[in-house]
Amino acid sequence: MIIVPCPNCGPRNSGDLRPAGEVISRPDPATCSLSEWREYLYMRPNPAGWVTETWYCRGGCRRYFTIERNTATNEIRGQEAS
Amino acid sequence: MSETTMHSPVDVGPLTSPDGGVTLADAYATTKIQVRAGAATAAAAALGVSYGRSRRNADGDLVCGTRPDEWTIYGDPGRSGAISATVPTEGFVTVIDITHGRAMLRISGANATSALSKICNLDLSDELTPNGAVFSGSLGAVGCDWVRDDQGGQTSFLISCERSFGKFLFIAVADACTEFGLSIPAGWELHPH
Repeated sequence: MIIVPCPNCGPRNSGDLRPAGEVISRPDPATCSLSEWREYLYMRPNPAGWVTETWYCRGGCRRYFTIERNTATNEIRGQEAS
Repeated sequence: MSETTMHSPVDVGPLTSPDGGVTLADAYATTKIQVRAGAATAAAAALGVSYGRSRRNADGDLVCGTRPDEWTIYGDPGRSGAISATVPTEGFVTVIDITHGRAMLRISGANATSALSKICNLDLSDELTPNGAVFSGSLGAVGCDWVRDDQGGQTSFLISCERSFGKFLFIAVADACTEFGLSIPAGWELHPH
């Protein structure tokens, strides 16, 4: 079980939340190439280490927020509302 | 606004353990008004509670800060029109009667917290959920809105969920209360464990 700190609700069981994936920058669809767009849609770095992720507090405040999570240890630091 | 005839998903009266340590009661008929409003609106100022807190207003209605920019007002049955009329609607504000769409139960008594903790992953201690606390979380795997609303000095929680889950939730909570002496009504089938 992972305890995820929601900025509105406080520490919550991750089962009450939904991970929405790594935060990545969205390319401009009008100017980017097809491969860049495909990269944005489907490819993720998925490092063993610190990543910035978006989570959705579905069981509580129903707001999105970002955290930094270490994918190797599940340690979490930093949080802010999206 | 017309009042709607409602039928509770739970057709049983209050259940109480022999020692009075826990009482479980259907509160479906409670009027439930949902207000969504921007923080700078007159409605937000009039409601006057922040997210996570509640207060009783002059009419005896329970005003709850259910989520950021969202409030729920609970009142006696049949008061939806009267309650809705008290909310200023200037600006970005919606006021919806959700009475018929939400099941509700009240669980009270010295053993209420212990019973709920069996099927809930929230910390229901007095430090984190004191009287007046408003929060949301799963109970028996059902997404619920909670209010700690002590009555007569006794711990009490008002818990609501979507109406279609109402009987499931009531049975799950009643099952959790059997450890504390609550008897299940004849003919009820408990959920398999």
